[in-house]
This record gives sequence, structure tokens and C-alpha cells, in this order.
Amino acid sequence: MPEKKPGLGCIEVGILENALVIIAVLDKKGTVLAWNRAAETITGYSKQEIIGNTSLWRYLYPDKTYRDSVNRRLAEILAKKNYFENFETTIQTRSGTRHVILWNTKEVELDGKKLVIAVGQDYTHVRELDSFRETIIDNANVLITVLGVHGKVVIWNTAAEEITGYSRDEAIGNLGIWKRLYPDKEYRDTITRQIHEVFSAQQSFLNLETRVTTKSGAKKVISWNTRQITFGGGKHAISIGIDITEQRAAEEALVAYMTEMAMRIKQPVEIIRENLHDVAALVRAGKITPDETAMLLDGQERNARQVATNVQEFQQAILEKNRAIPEAYRKFLEGD
Amino acid sequence: MDAFVSREDLEKKQIFLILAAPANIRERNIELIKEISANGYHTIVVTVNFPYNILSKLYAENGVELATVSFVDAVTRNSIGNAENIPGIVRFVNNPANLTDLGIAVTEVLKDHSGKKVCILYDSVSTMLIYLPSQSISKFIHFVTNKLRLMDLSGIFLAVEKGLDPMLVSQLTTFVDTVIDTG
Repeated sequence: MPEKKPGLGCIEVGILENALVIIAVLDKKGTVLAWNRAAETITGYSKQEIIGNTSLWRYLYPDKTYRDSVNRRLAEILAKKNYFENFETTIQTRSGTRHVILWNTKEVELDGKKLVIAVGQDYTHVRELDSFRETIIDNANVLITVLGVHGKVVIWNTAAEEITGYSRDEAIGNLGIWKRLYPDKEYRDTITRQIHEVFSAQQSFLNLETRVTTKSGAKKVISWNTRQITFGGGKHAISIGIDITEQRAAEEALVAYMTEMAMRIKQPVEIIRENLHDVAALVRAGKITPDETAMLLDGQERNARQVATNVQEFQQAILEKNRAIPEAYRKFLEGD
Repeated sequence: MDAFVSREDLEKKQIFLILAAPANIRERNIELIKEISANGYHTIVVTVNFPYNILSKLYAENGVELATVSFVDAVTRNSIGNAENIPGIVRFVNNPANLTDLGIAVTEVLKDHSGKKVCILYDSVSTMLIYLPSQSISKFIHFVTNKLRLMDLSGIFLAVEKGLDPMLVSQLTTFVDTVIDTG
């Protein structure tokens, strides 16, 4: 039932006039009866242009297609109730700029006439900030996801799509994404347990490394930094994942190279040392001829040369695997 | 001192990885040949370290009956460029890094001694590391051990103890029956 209001007094007029939100009063035919100062400031349309006119919405939504879509959405809402709340539209001002307005309406009865009071809050700045945040999240080159209750994905950015191969549609709103990323149940349970243990002791964890399986079946190492946050009355977790697959592979390759190099220096050098020791003993004992001595020494010289060549090859391999090596060390490893 | 390799081991056609300190590796080589000969087996020494003529001298000095030993020598030709094979005694391979030639030579020498009680002694894995990456050595030893098992023969691979990549040790351990660290 529409509320019956007393006539507008000075105080109400003052409030209406000085409010920082658009306030428009319309009759049932859509004729604007009141248009406050904020409405003039935000839209650029003066009282003289708007009051007594039924073309308000044509001014604010000059594009017919958009205006029709707004009207359709309004009709859907008004079919169920005689007011609407937080109805968001984009208006075009007189100067052509666009503003996001959050509309709330109320039907009132004044002097036996049913009127609609429309209050429009300028949400442009809020939406710009939202858009800015979304742009940052979306353009970050790290995986960003926000998890809601029970680990349901709320946000899944472009990097998350690129790293995992799973689109937003596949990730947002369900738990299945974690089963896909961690198909091995035992491993998944271990990771889940680790996360629960950390969260039961503190609100965040740093550099937790996990191996995820991407949509294409490739394995990737992700370093997760996660923090619990509270908003909208519920606990959420914001997780940032850095793809360190290449870094880990490079580190593993480096360890493998270093191990191989250590082995292929230590063992041969010990052999060469003992061979030279034996040659000296054989020479001292007069058991080998000068030709045999020369042949043995040639052999050890060849072995030593080969070890030096091997070291050079290892240095080259390390250089190729590690682009981050500083220039001075790079030159040294290159043999300059 | 107990034998490193017993008659029973040889009869069971066991394959060994024998580790020794660098200073002891030549001594182990000689002791093993003496043990193998004492058990009535012929030893085929695959050497990538000392040449056949020097080893022969050392064996003779240490009381090894040279008739019980033959060689695959991957050192001599690499040093002096040319050496003729001596049937039944030595077969030369040009380069220790040429595993194809080495594999062929081992196969042919084993064929030459088919039907006889033979044990192959490989000296050494550590020297091969000068010329080849561990992955290639591992593949080659896998090939040789497979051949030995197919031909029902014993074999010994000598290596310097300590300093071997754990991955290589793990692979070699799976190819052989027993690993003995002789110190």
C-alpha cells in the first residue's frame, strides 16, 4: 500500500534540495514534479528543463536500445513490487559524460495523488574503483583467486586461466576446480591438511609450494601466498599463486649439472693422481721403458685435457640454463 | 683376508659393482684377477685406464698367469694411434668414448670365449667418467649386464668409492647383484 505523506514543508524541501543524491518526484504519468540541485549538478539538466516534462528518461538514456533494456528490467521488477532498490543504470549527462547511478524508488501518496520518489546515488566513482581493482587483478601476471565458504572460487583472474588452462566459468562457484588441479586424492588430502593446519594456527601462509595439474595435463609448480580476510559477513581467502615451474626446473637442472660436474671432476682427478703415482713408482723401479713411460704420461695428459674440456662444457650448460647469472660471472664461465 | 668374489659367486654368474679407494683400485684389479683365476675362470679385462702392455707386466709381476687373461684395450690406440689386435689376447678399441665400438669388441671377445668359464672385469667406471656423461655410462653398463645375463656369465665393474652421483649409484645397483665397498 502506498504511504500517505503530509505536504512538503520547508524542512523537507530543504532536505530534498540539498541532498547529495539525485531526487526526482514523478507522478504516475512520469511527469517530473521535483528535481533537486544534486540532480541538476550530476545530470547537467536544470529544473526548468526537467520539471513538468515527461521526457526525463529520454534525456538520461538517449540510446533507444539501452533505454528499452532499462525499461524491460524495470517492468520485470515492478511486476512483483511497486518499488525497486539499488537498481543500477548508466545515464548520459547533458555534456555527454556517463555516470553510474544506483536508483531506489518509493511510492507515496500526497494529497490523494500517488507519486514516485526516485533517489539516485552517483556510483560512478565506486564503479570506477571496482573496475580499477578488477583491471589490476585481471592484468596481474600472477594467479589471483579469492575463495569463499568451503573453498568455492569467487574470483579467478586471467593469469589463473592462463596458468591452469581452466576458464573463469570452469573455476568460479564450485569446488571441482581443486579436484581437477590436484587429481591425485592422496596429494590433494595432504595439501588440504597442510592448509588447514596453517590456518588453524595463523591467518596466512607464505610460499607454500604445490604441484598442480593443468587442463592439458602438464604439471606446474605454484608458490602460494594466502591470507584469510573477512567481508560480506563471511570468511574468505585471497590466494596469490606464482608459477615457479621454470625456476624449479632450472634449479633442479643446475643441481643435476653440479652433481654431474663434481663427480666428473673428482673421480677422474683421483684416477689421474693414482695413475701418475703408479707411473712414478714404475719408473723408479725401472719396470717400464721410456716409450711406455711416455705413453702412460701422454694418456694422463689426455685425461687431464678432457677433464678441462668437460668443465668448460659444464660452465656453458650452466650459462644456458640460468639467464639470471650476472654479466661478470657469465664472462668468467664463458672463459673470457 | 676373505675373497671378494668366491667360486660360488662365479658359479651363480653373479654380477658385482666393486668400489675401492682411489689408491687401492689397481691393487683390487690384480686381487680380483687372481681370485677369478684361482677359481678356474678366464678373465676378460676391459681397460679404459692403463694400456694392455703395462697391465700385463703388472699382472705377471704379481703372479697372475697371463694365459688366464685377455683384454679389450680402449687406451693404447688412443695414445699411439695404431696397434694390431692379437687374437685370444687383446682386442683394441680406438677411443674409450666410442661405446658402440667398445660394445662390439666386448661382444666379440665374449663370443671368442663362448663355452668357457669366463668373468669380465671392467676397469673402471670412474675412468669412463672422463670421456662420457653418467647417463651414457649407465646405458652402456645396462647393455653389458644384459649381455652377461643372456650369456650366463659373471662380471665385475670397478669404480672409485665415494663421489659417485647417487642417481648413478642407484642405477648401477639395480643392474648388478651385489655392491661391495672394499675400501
